[in-house]
Amino acid sequence: MNQTLHQRVRWAAWIAAAAVAVCVLLLTISYAAARLQAPRDEKTVAELKRKVREDASFAPRIEAEHKRITAALQQRRKRDDVIAIVLLLAASLFVAAAKWLAACGGRRQLPMDRLVQLKAAPRQGPALTLPAAPGGAEEPHQAFVERIVEQHGRSREAAIPILQAIQAHYRYLPDEALKLVCELTEITPAQIAGSSSFYSQFRRSPRGRHVVRVCHGTACHVAGARLITDELRRRLEIPGGADTDAQRLFTVDEVACVGCCSLAPVIMVDGQTVGKLTPTGACDALDGIRSPSPA
Amino acid sequence: MKGKGVEIRIGLGSCGIAGGAEAVRAAIEQEARQAGAGAVVKAVGCNGMCHREPLVEVAGSDGGTVLYGNVTAEAARSIVRRHVRPGAVQARLRWAAERVAGLFGNGGARARLAGYRVDRGSGGAASYLGKQQRIVLENCGEIDPESIDDYLAREGYQALDKCLRQLKPAELIQIITDSGLRGRGGAGFGTGLKWDLARRQPEGDKYVICNGDEGDPGAFMDRLVLESDPHRVVEGLAIAAYAIGAAEGIFYIRAEYPLAVRRIREAVRQAEERGLLGRGIPGSDFPLRLEVREGAGAFVCGEETALIRSLEGERGTPRLRPPYPIQRGYRGRPTLVNNVETLACVPWIVRRGAGPFAALGTEKSKGTKVFALAGKINRGGLVEVPMGITIREVVEDIGGGIKDGRKFKAVQLGGPSGGCIPARLAGTPIDYEALASTGAIMGSGGLVVLDDSDCMVDLARFFLRFTQSESCGKCTFCRIGTKRMLEILERLCAGQGRSGDLENLELLAGHAGRGSLCGLGQTAPNPVLTTLRYFPEEYKAHLLEKRCPAGRCTALIRYQVTAGCTGCTSCAQVCPVKAIAYRPYERHEIDQDLCTRCDMCRQACQEQAIEVVSP
Repeated sequence: MNQTLHQRVRWAAWIAAAAVAVCVLLLTISYAAARLQAPRDEKTVAELKRKVREDASFAPRIEAEHKRITAALQQRRKRDDVIAIVLLLAASLFVAAAKWLAACGGRRQLPMDRLVQLKAAPRQGPALTLPAAPGGAEEPHQAFVERIVEQHGRSREAAIPILQAIQAHYRYLPDEALKLVCELTEITPAQIAGSSSFYSQFRRSPRGRHVVRVCHGTACHVAGARLITDELRRRLEIPGGADTDAQRLFTVDEVACVGCCSLAPVIMVDGQTVGKLTPTGACDALDGIRSPSPA
Repeated sequence: MKGKGVEIRIGLGSCGIAGGAEAVRAAIEQEARQAGAGAVVKAVGCNGMCHREPLVEVAGSDGGTVLYGNVTAEAARSIVRRHVRPGAVQARLRWAAERVAGLFGNGGARARLAGYRVDRGSGGAASYLGKQQRIVLENCGEIDPESIDDYLAREGYQALDKCLRQLKPAELIQIITDSGLRGRGGAGFGTGLKWDLARRQPEGDKYVICNGDEGDPGAFMDRLVLESDPHRVVEGLAIAAYAIGAAEGIFYIRAEYPLAVRRIREAVRQAEERGLLGRGIPGSDFPLRLEVREGAGAFVCGEETALIRSLEGERGTPRLRPPYPIQRGYRGRPTLVNNVETLACVPWIVRRGAGPFAALGTEKSKGTKVFALAGKINRGGLVEVPMGITIREVVEDIGGGIKDGRKFKAVQLGGPSGGCIPARLAGTPIDYEALASTGAIMGSGGLVVLDDSDCMVDLARFFLRFTQSESCGKCTFCRIGTKRMLEILERLCAGQGRSGDLENLELLAGHAGRGSLCGLGQTAPNPVLTTLRYFPEEYKAHLLEKRCPAGRCTALIRYQVTAGCTGCTSCAQVCPVKAIAYRPYERHEIDQDLCTRCDMCRQACQEQAIEVVSP
């Protein structure tokens, strides 16, 4: 149904454009005809005037001629007015239709598969370099982003849930996925840049396989969270300024508070909370994960 | 107590799981299956005794309960064997034999279990629970948070039913106003008044939002309530929506609380399925749609205008008020934002009336307050106390005093927006106004206890580092003021303080507080101002003597080996930077140039022969 609407609008645009062209043509012809007619009429009138001087009986002819010229002029003006109004209407229709088609409003009326075809066409050159998604690795990235968008809507308001879904899937925000989001929704690149840098949850660079969140809440701070972070970083050989080790196995994050204050100091390894730690204990907790036993 | 109809409850909140409750559950389930008897194993939320996690409670058919704390998987098996009479003949014989064996010898399983038993009638547990008054937490740890039937069995959704059938919105709001309930998010605005203002807004779309963006480090009461009794919050939100005439409600919950998000989603789904929300409510045309949204990790989004911006998909920056969200909030419509704990109080008040709630507390602060008790304390956890109780009672009676016999120095109340109250003011009652007069605030309920090994300058720096990094950057005074203050504190902690630093700190604190739009900036200087006010000597020691009296600031301390050293080389083995030479049977020495003050050697030393000195 959306497709027919879209086609109708496109037809309307074409008809309006044709009407504009016809009107312009008519006006030009009318103008040209008037320009050609005017000297001829003047000549006729001058001829008649000369004849009147010789023979007074020509006077009514002159009057008649004047009347004819005035009538023709008025008729032409009326006709031009009509054409002009039609032209204006057609032009507005055309502009409205064209705007609707050009804006995402028109594009959104396209069914998903058609849209995907259109979008996919120019991007076939450089292949997408998205990382393999954990779990649902089989799902193409395009399809994934589309599914997410469909789920959360296309308004600006959906930005954060969409980013959260993408991050949950890829564990960071890959540029290609973000580009797709911008193309499929009303969300702008500026909004994504703003939000993804504002909220601490979002990451723009890949994470390690395991994420270690060291709680730095008040209770954990007084219980020595700093020492735990330092020791973890030292053990994992994470260079200063980075948060992930060279093998991309562990990412160590400092987080505000995971809300397990009575077990301080606490770390969260891949969503699992481990409490009442010492620096050595924290490293031992990671050793348990490094071993191949399933998490 | 024994036999069929026994219910075994396992505390499966985030902290319980962190304490190993999953392993306990597996053990109990396996054991109960082997026994083949009709014991109900139920996953419940947390009852607040986080210091004894994992907790297992056994409820007999006669209503009596036995509570076990710090349960290990092995102890869990014994618990099942002790309380559940097996169904299968073979298992029953073994069970009987074990019980007979238990009468002889050293008492067997019974004696072993006694060590895990938490006796609510006496000792630590009694004083922990004795002074508490549970309104918000009444169901926590006793019902299965993922089962609506459990909640319904506890008078659940009766308050909502009463509202819809008997009370007009104005009458309902009158009850809330009479109860004296004030916003539990920190600022303490009258809840009844807020609802009334929202109700008086012109007709049309209105929204209610449950603010579960509990960002204060050191506070976890919202998490616990959401995890352990989600239906209560759903009911509270539905009542609020009815009171102001809103048709849409939103839960805004931190993404750092995945379990809370999951349980609220589940609770909303169950309530909708039962027709307790939405158009299906019998005999009423009160439509309500509830939605759950996850916060994306920004402390400032706990502020209501920032929260609304965040819901709208933008950066969560606060805006100038008025117009207040009550007038113009989410999608430009009147929006009521209430804290989780506030909403959790509502069903209780509606059910019992305003009187019992107003009877608790002080003149201006009514009811109870939930505190997340943590830090250097013997019994940490979630406690709900009536307003008006003193800080000392909370720390010493409920919390069981300071860990490791150290000295009680101060409490930090209200997180980064709050302040430190020194031990000498511990007689201050828990009351919005009384706490404000000390320079701290009630806050959302984080109560971190500090002992004499905690450095107040370091603590102020910690909070300022937090507010500085969480400042959204909109107001200059907050963005740059906190940065400059942090720089001064970093200098002090590094022993590089300059003259005039303390005066500048105070000046900047005043400016940042006055020149900021929202609560974050306005209250960010509180930790600095209160520590400056109550512990000026510590600041002076850092500034003038380049000394950290508490032995915390790594740049100002040294680790030394005392005469007690036996040369056991434990410290040399753990030192990550090889600052201690491996010389057995000799008194060890620490190379001060290599030492990074990581504290590993002190922790490893069995002779307590390594001390921290600040010259």
